[in-house]
Amino acid sequence: MEILALENLTFSYPQSTRRVLDTVSFSIKEGEFCVMCGATGSGKSTLLRLCKPSLAPTGQLDGQILFKGTPLDRLSSRDAAMKIGFVCQQPDQQIVCDKVWHELAFGLENLGLPQKEIALRVAEMASYLGIEPWYDKPVSALSGGQKQLLCLASVMVMHPDVLILDEPTSQLDPIAAAEFIHTLKKLNRDFSLTVLIAEHRLEELVPICDRLIVLEKGGLLGSDAPLSLMPSIAQRPQLLASMPSAVRIACALGQKRYPLSVRQGREMLAELPAPRVRALPEQTALHGQSKALQLTDVHFRYARELPDVLSSLSLSLYEGETLCMLGGNGSGKSTLLAVAAGIFKPYAGKIEVLGKKIGQYKGQALYDQCLSLLPQDVQTVFLCNTVHEELADAKVDHSALPFDLSHLLNTHPYDLSGGEQQLVALAKALATKPRVLLMDEPTKGLDAEKKAQLIEILRALKADGVSILIVTHDVEFAALCADRCVLLFRGQAVSDALPRAFFAENNFYTTAARRLSRGFLDNAVTTQDVSALYGKEGTP
Amino acid sequence: MIYIPSARVRGVLSVLIPALLIPATVLAGALLLGERAYIPVSLAVALLSLLLFVAGFEQKAIGTRRTVLVSVIIALCIAGRLIPVFKPVTALVVLGAVYLGAQAGFYIGALSALLSNFLFGQGPWTPFQMLAWGLIGLFAGLLAKPLQKSKVALLLYGVLAGIAYSAVMDVWSVLWASGGLSPSAYLAAIVAALPHTVLYALSNLLFLLLCAKPIGDKLCRIKIKYGI
Amino acid sequence: MRALDQYNPITIAVYYLAVAGIAMLCMHPVLLFLSLCGALALCLMRRDLRTRTHANFAAFFALSVLINPLFSHNGATVLLVINNAPITAEALFFGATSGLAVLAVLYWFASFSAIMKSDKLLYLFGKLSPRLSMILSMALRYVSLFAEQAKRIKQAQIALGLYKEDNIIDRVRGGLRIFSVLISWALENGIVTAGSMAARGYGAGRRSHFSIFWFSWRDALVLCLTLLLGAGTLIPYALGTVTFTFYPTLHLHSAGALSYLCYLSYGALVALPILIETEDTVKWKYLRSKI
Repeated sequence: MEILALENLTFSYPQSTRRVLDTVSFSIKEGEFCVMCGATGSGKSTLLRLCKPSLAPTGQLDGQILFKGTPLDRLSSRDAAMKIGFVCQQPDQQIVCDKVWHELAFGLENLGLPQKEIALRVAEMASYLGIEPWYDKPVSALSGGQKQLLCLASVMVMHPDVLILDEPTSQLDPIAAAEFIHTLKKLNRDFSLTVLIAEHRLEELVPICDRLIVLEKGGLLGSDAPLSLMPSIAQRPQLLASMPSAVRIACALGQKRYPLSVRQGREMLAELPAPRVRALPEQTALHGQSKALQLTDVHFRYARELPDVLSSLSLSLYEGETLCMLGGNGSGKSTLLAVAAGIFKPYAGKIEVLGKKIGQYKGQALYDQCLSLLPQDVQTVFLCNTVHEELADAKVDHSALPFDLSHLLNTHPYDLSGGEQQLVALAKALATKPRVLLMDEPTKGLDAEKKAQLIEILRALKADGVSILIVTHDVEFAALCADRCVLLFRGQAVSDALPRAFFAENNFYTTAARRLSRGFLDNAVTTQDVSALYGKEGTP
Repeated sequence: MIYIPSARVRGVLSVLIPALLIPATVLAGALLLGERAYIPVSLAVALLSLLLFVAGFEQKAIGTRRTVLVSVIIALCIAGRLIPVFKPVTALVVLGAVYLGAQAGFYIGALSALLSNFLFGQGPWTPFQMLAWGLIGLFAGLLAKPLQKSKVALLLYGVLAGIAYSAVMDVWSVLWASGGLSPSAYLAAIVAALPHTVLYALSNLLFLLLCAKPIGDKLCRIKIKYGI
Repeated sequence: MRALDQYNPITIAVYYLAVAGIAMLCMHPVLLFLSLCGALALCLMRRDLRTRTHANFAAFFALSVLINPLFSHNGATVLLVINNAPITAEALFFGATSGLAVLAVLYWFASFSAIMKSDKLLYLFGKLSPRLSMILSMALRYVSLFAEQAKRIKQAQIALGLYKEDNIIDRVRGGLRIFSVLISWALENGIVTAGSMAARGYGAGRRSHFSIFWFSWRDALVLCLTLLLGAGTLIPYALGTVTFTFYPTLHLHSAGALSYLCYLSYGALVALPILIETEDTVKWKYLRSKI
């Protein structure tokens, strides 16, 4: 049975002639797990919001959306709230109440259900999704992943027929994101819940979905099982870039099949003739000998009674080098950056910036042509009405930037996309002409295209002699842009190597391309590495 | 839950109660009841304020955004403590009221008083504080047009609000400490509180001078962009 | 076995209203003394207050004692004369009594604030006006969210070299800067919250109210006791059997059984939470000893 059907949907925003959506038609059957993909600006978000009456943007709308055969505008507001669940990007902003139990009950209170029924539904959902241990807690005590799970649960208690999710995992770390997707699949499998999800990170989603809906510049490229759509996706490099590594390798090798998961990718490699050369040449360190940043035996804790967050940490960042620091949640990555940037003082140990002890920088000297930190949450940087004022606030020199912001100057910072906000924040961080740049999770929420642009920018900065320390969860990004990688575990740097060696050594904390080629190749860590060794008769 | 169906009655009530009924109750109670008057007066004020909230009950969908913004501004009033020297509460109440309307202004004022007492201790003074800030918000909302147009008017309102706040709270102090409202005690209280009042009015003035434009711009943008 | 803060919020609110209401209403040194003893004992027992708060309360008391004789010159016993105005012992005692009332009420409210945590108060407000309760609940969540965000903003601005705290002007400027960033963030993201509320049917109809508090037979018991003891205090007081006149001379009127009923009832009312807390502790220790 068709649960959601779009018929010739065309939409444009007020005072704009551009069609954000252009005659889009497709339908979704009950119990399907559907993934929607497309570049930023392809109309994904608009389409999803049009499917949820209370969130539908205002503008010129033609065509119609049918929910179980009824046009959406004829659905009562109560049914629309109950039957169509919606979860969006930012967990912190979706939560309304200050206690977990109250948040779970919020939707049911709105429906006016009696106390007894609310109690039952809430209890049921809390046990099923494992929320019980933190049922009484204030929301502020939860982690990002727990918050997003709470958002999901507080929609699920209303027993929706279809669940729509707009980039729900973009603000989560990879482990929390994988858990969240796993929970979605479980709901889909156990209750035949129809799921429609839009996401940038498709590595885990494409292999488990029943239907892929691909949008391109407001038009529908296709809506079908992922395998049937792959041939047309393979023609479009921009779309292909966001697909799972296995498909990208297959396409790069000119294969006519489309493996989606790591397992299918390995099956493909097993059938191919073994390459003559199994290993790429080892990388050599490219940095100079002088150190831009040196941490020696640094110890830090937030309060006397709390445990050490950084314990006996030693780390050096050489001049002109890009160093990626990886590690799970709670390994102390962000704290390390704050300590290195002089925001927190360690209780023991020594920090030297450009050969000078951090304590010897008086006043603002440390942040003047010396060191700068791009925060994880870039919205902590904006205070003006336009990008132009924002850049003037930090006295940014446009001509010195390695990227162009001129087309954004008159826009309000909060009207920018996540990637554009990142660039404006980066411009502010570069305003003081730092020689050491620290970045906290710079790829959070970026699509494949914006990530590629970021890598280009980092290369340009490096060419200017800026030393860069990046803290990230994103192993694929680190494999592409790092000169050296360090793994942080329980406040200590436990492994330190060049990226190829680093990701080849790791078995679990490594890229999909490495997991896929393990046993066939010795040190291929990116999709390019794999295709280089397999392609052209083994000569990279 | 009490619900008043007629929009007209709600509208009249929501202006009449805070503007006339509550001050009248306070005065009448203080003058007529004499000794220990603050108990019935506080209770009456609390009840009337509650009636006001009920009177402001609206069920329109657009109300959701306004409701959220009201709670955002209330929380910002508390968060404003991070600024040394200044207390931006009055300024935020005034600006919130100017951009979101008289009723929202009353909510913001009254509820920020209530909420800050959640965190720093409730007392018998709570209804009076709610009333004082609530009224500051309400009148700012009613005077929204001139206050939006002229910065001088806004600054003047800020100073007056500071003085009026002290005047209302002095009524409470006198009722509370001496049991009745004798003019001489009230005068003494006003004189004793004078340095504090002046400082408070000045802080309002300075904060509005510095922040009326940036905060106003932000509120204005939200209001236009999201059609509130 | 339940400690005081585990009772239903309605029970707790009615109790405090009764006990503090009587203290506010009855200008009677004996009743007020009882009231203060009870409130102070409860606060000390639950360790709800810091030493500084006690000191502040004492200052309030001193102020009340001193102010009255300066404005009121009634009374027969003149202690001294300042500027042709007599300071009388009766006026001083009246001041002390009203100071006692101030102090007792302050302690009751302090204890009330410590026990009625936000979710209990929201439960009460929810019974009166769901919309009000909703706004307060959201605002409460925002307070902690904003405090956290303000910290992040400060760190971000420091590391961009845009914030310093070298002197008071810099600190004010920095504070304003952080606050400005916070306002933008809070307002813009508030719209997301509004969307999430609408998506879950807020404003689509009459709301119901869910809570995790329940009403047990113990609540009923304490509620009945409160009302009974409250009536036992107020009825004799209203009949005029227990009065205290301050002017022209201090005089305590007592009219036999009824006045003792008044003192006993209020004494019992004041002692009620102390009994509840003691029972809870003793029972817990007893059960522990059996394990």
